[in-house]
Amino acid sequence: MRFTLIKDIKEDKTMSLILKGFLVFILLFLIADILVMNSSFGISIQKINITLFGNEDEYIDPITKASFLEFWHTQIFFIMMILLSLSAIFIRVAKRSRVIIINILMISAIISLIALPISFYVTSVFITIYATTYFLWHITAMWMILYSYWKLNAKNI
Amino acid sequence: MQKIYKLSIIYFLSFSILLIISAVMLFEQKIGFSFTNVLEYYMGNEEKFIVAKSSSGILKIVLPHIFVFGLISMVLLHFLVFTNHKDKKYTLLIIYLTFASAIFEIFTPFLIINGFEFFAYIKIVSFVLFLSLLVYISYLLFSSIVYN
Repeated sequence: MRFTLIKDIKEDKTMSLILKGFLVFILLFLIADILVMNSSFGISIQKINITLFGNEDEYIDPITKASFLEFWHTQIFFIMMILLSLSAIFIRVAKRSRVIIINILMISAIISLIALPISFYVTSVFITIYATTYFLWHITAMWMILYSYWKLNAKNI
Repeated sequence: MQKIYKLSIIYFLSFSILLIISAVMLFEQKIGFSFTNVLEYYMGNEEKFIVAKSSSGILKIVLPHIFVFGLISMVLLHFLVFTNHKDKKYTLLIIYLTFASAIFEIFTPFLIINGFEFFAYIKIVSFVLFLSLLVYISYLLFSSIVYN
């Protein structure tokens, strides 16, 4: 996190290049995450419902508690690390509305991670909240990546 | 420290608490918190159809945890440097205890499957201690951000 201490990132071309490379990788991770989720856990309400609770007509078993907890546990770790790194870069390059954007990103990600076990253990109604907030934080994160990249490329930061 | 960084850290702490909750639930679901549960999980139990774990099987689980335990400990602990808790004796103790408990938590399964049954207790104690320390560090950071 050395870049959080550099006064003017624009002047430091090496650090700027490193951060741009890192941003590309975060963007690739987010795109890959959506693709993998689409083919495994599901990103639509119907598919997530089938994954969590199974489908008797199609002979699909529900996910086991241990598998669900492993999935949830892994998701929390990756999301917290990705969002901490991304927000640290975004804070350095953005000037306007950064508090609002960070709040939208973090709150939607936390709600999605809380809605997931509630939908599994309590009520399936929360699947809608999970799916909505999942896309909200992904879109916000992607916007932050593109904005930060553009800012790092711009002549006047 | 700028307010926006404090906000970011508070969110990170919220994620850490979620991670700890999920870890406890996962441990309870897969292993269990009693001495017998831990022994059965690693040594197996024919009556309950629990297969004994092999060294390579444990290594597969341990591998990502070595990196993750080190990373999360480092990230949480390094935030203490920016607080009033920096350079305090108890901070040093917390740092040593965190890394030591993480190492015991990760590597005790290898000792358990090699016949050192006593380490099932160490496994439980180190797991509880490690997570308790992460909660305590989170509390120290949170109180520093909110009250200072």
